[in-house]
Amino acid sequence: MATHTRYYTLRKDDLNSFIVKLSRDHKVVAPVSKGYGNFAFAEVTSSNDIVLKYIPTILPPKKYFFPQRETILTFSTGRGENAEAILEHEDTVIFGVHTCDLNGIQCLNIVFSERPRDYNYLGRKDKITIIGLECSEYCDKDASCNLMNSNFPNGGYDLFFTDLGDAFMVHVNTQAGEDLVENANLFKPASPEQMAALYSLRDAKRALFKNEVAVDRKDIPAIFDKSENSAVWQKAGEKCVGCGNCTNVCPTCYCFDIADTMNLDLKSGRRVRSWDSCQVEPFARVAGGENFRSGQAERLRHRYYRKFRYSLGKYYRFFCTGCGRCTRACMAGIRLKETLAELVKEAL
Amino acid sequence: MIKEELVNSNWRVRKGHIIRVKRMTPCEKLFEIELESGRALDYEPGQFVQVSVFGAGEAPISLCSSPTKRGSFELCVRAAGKLTNAMHALEAGDELGIRGPFGKGFPVKVLAGNDLIFVAGGLGIAPLRSLINYVIDNRREFGKVDILLGCRNPKEMLFADDLEFWQKRVDVNFSCTVDTGGPDWEGNIGLITSIIPGITINPERTFAVVVGPPVMYKFVISELLKKKIAERHIILSLERHMKCGMGKCGHCQIDSLDNYYCCQDGPVFSYDRIKNVAKM
Amino acid sequence: MTKPKIAFFDLSCCEGCQLQLANMGELLLDVLELVDVVEFREVMSEKWEGNFDVALVEGSVTDDHSEERLKAIRGRSKVLVAFGACAATGGVNGMKNSFDLEEIGKYVYGADHKSFPTRKTRPLHQVVKVDYTINNCPAYIPELVEVLKHILKGLPYAVPDYPVCVECKFNENVCMYERGAACMGPVTRAGCGSQCINNNNICYGCRGMVSNPRENAARDIMAKYNITPELIAKKMEMYNKCREEEKNVKKEHHH
Repeated sequence: MATHTRYYTLRKDDLNSFIVKLSRDHKVVAPVSKGYGNFAFAEVTSSNDIVLKYIPTILPPKKYFFPQRETILTFSTGRGENAEAILEHEDTVIFGVHTCDLNGIQCLNIVFSERPRDYNYLGRKDKITIIGLECSEYCDKDASCNLMNSNFPNGGYDLFFTDLGDAFMVHVNTQAGEDLVENANLFKPASPEQMAALYSLRDAKRALFKNEVAVDRKDIPAIFDKSENSAVWQKAGEKCVGCGNCTNVCPTCYCFDIADTMNLDLKSGRRVRSWDSCQVEPFARVAGGENFRSGQAERLRHRYYRKFRYSLGKYYRFFCTGCGRCTRACMAGIRLKETLAELVKEAL
Repeated sequence: MIKEELVNSNWRVRKGHIIRVKRMTPCEKLFEIELESGRALDYEPGQFVQVSVFGAGEAPISLCSSPTKRGSFELCVRAAGKLTNAMHALEAGDELGIRGPFGKGFPVKVLAGNDLIFVAGGLGIAPLRSLINYVIDNRREFGKVDILLGCRNPKEMLFADDLEFWQKRVDVNFSCTVDTGGPDWEGNIGLITSIIPGITINPERTFAVVVGPPVMYKFVISELLKKKIAERHIILSLERHMKCGMGKCGHCQIDSLDNYYCCQDGPVFSYDRIKNVAKM
Repeated sequence: MTKPKIAFFDLSCCEGCQLQLANMGELLLDVLELVDVVEFREVMSEKWEGNFDVALVEGSVTDDHSEERLKAIRGRSKVLVAFGACAATGGVNGMKNSFDLEEIGKYVYGADHKSFPTRKTRPLHQVVKVDYTINNCPAYIPELVEVLKHILKGLPYAVPDYPVCVECKFNENVCMYERGAACMGPVTRAGCGSQCINNNNICYGCRGMVSNPRENAARDIMAKYNITPELIAKKMEMYNKCREEEKNVKKEHHH
């Protein structure tokens, strides 16, 4: 019988060796600096470029599961036309995924696993290994991860790293994770002292993280039941520039568009799926010209309902992870926490 | 990056052969299509397919034939966008791609045994024709049948052959109205709402099936409710841009706390389920 | 099958969009496989007396002479393409419309200004029917190729009607507003792959605005960056002054 060792440690000095080893067999991506206090997941071959203390990246790791643009079909035209559904994928290890983003990936897993299934997403997911990284404190003031219950690890990873100062505590959640640990030959079983350090870090977090909006999470759907005609939407809608940043950076937004592109031979081409945004004007327009969400306030309201109300009925969970990206990416300064707080105030 | 064929992909299309194209109006053509496999498309009245013309893309089109018609199916297409314009350039013998059928069609089992009023406005006659012809092909299963058809002018009248066929039958009551008639027009002139009050209805056993542009629904429904038809006996087919047909892409989501996706939960709904939707 | 006859013309412009063709490199060879260039003043001396399958016209209409020329080209072309920002939206030539024509004539030509009669700047579609539009200053090569493919396939090309921000986020750029620079991305039509921001420049709005730009929201955003209303107005107008005349344009032009 195999020993069920679920916690290992990796000395911080060995992180580089681990990443170098990983990058020999896989594409490894991790948070790197983009300047101006911004970060992005990008390919790394050593730990030198990895930033361990980062605020959520501009785009969440969903881009590896569900790329901004992907070919779903290739075709040739004319008599006897042929089409082939295709998947482009790459064996990838994502290192340093925060718990909010693990939650986001779990949301997307549910959406794309629901029949009719999306095998492009699922095929890519099978080729991705996820290594999580714990936040021991708030990344910044825009996060609301405690409210959305995503500041502690709750599955969704193969390995999970917690920074304990001179070493990482590493939780093994899957056999794939265990295999990475074994192949690396750098990890040691966690000592009782190190386990105690992990528990005290978690205790400190519980004391530090408080609901960022004064509301009980389970009351949110009922508040939204009453808020369809709230003045909050009109007010925020006037400020909204309709750029679609909030949906593109959202770890749980998955709306898409599909369009064909011809190759220059004018005989063959491909069908491309790309991210779309319910915040841009043409999104809900039909060929006849009718736009079923013609005002910016309606579009903005729709986004909030997809995060805090609709998903509860369909998938039994919130589709907000509290990562704060939509607030950070909003040039107009529409802040999710403020919008929620106003709705809560109105509903009381 | 590895590229592989995805044999279980839901994005795969089936090859369809156009066996007949008929121009119905300056804007609309009727396409009769056969699947290459020789297998019939297994569908219900009121469902739709995603049609591909490679290069131009894909668009959702209502099935306008009845599944009682064997072997092939028909699509009535208005040249309104990139895909539909590309379709209009095709002729018999050409190929196109088909995904589907998608969506919930008309509840034919629920309708059986009841009187039916069909109300169609403009292009709404296309999906409704699939049900009307289904009912006619199974005529014994239903009670009294009234067909009310409205369009802007006689030139825009679709399915002239069907209309004549329905008009001649003794087992359906057919009436038609136009917003503006021509010198040769002998039928009704006026909005479709104007002919509803004249119909005798037993509200206990009548279902109204209404398909038309969003602007029509409010007024027609109000007339039907005046006739004491129950909300759940009013059946509508909604229009949205169903891009994927799989409840994922988000384009056809209907603004309602019930969170309907038109492509999967619809396009057919009973009025009681969607009466709070601001824009039907 | 004979290749479609294609011709290039220029009205008021810098001819930079035509230069973009030369900048296409190897792609140009692929394009030349598909078409027969019969007139292109910038690279060849031949002239074509007959009709064109496709005419790409660069530049704006700024005087009576260019209006006549454009109408004549339209009459000889099956497909007319507004090629580049000046043709598509009026581009920077539109800035003239902010001034009195007499005064601006004097400013540019001095005492001789009466010899150079001028009119308000108009993009092509405000004068004749335009079948395809290639935005951008200068034309963006990937989009130019995309539009050519659409023309040759007989398909309509729809310029994206969402803001540059969408593509900019796809490219995971740090937002210019986070860098403290006021960018026109939020109101400008996408389709350029956010190339300026990718290269550390702001968006100047050269592609024209989306159909219903959220202008007030955009002004509020810029104002937060301590930009004066005058500068905001100038930013908005640099490429977009000719929008003012849109409402006066008849929906349908006839050949």
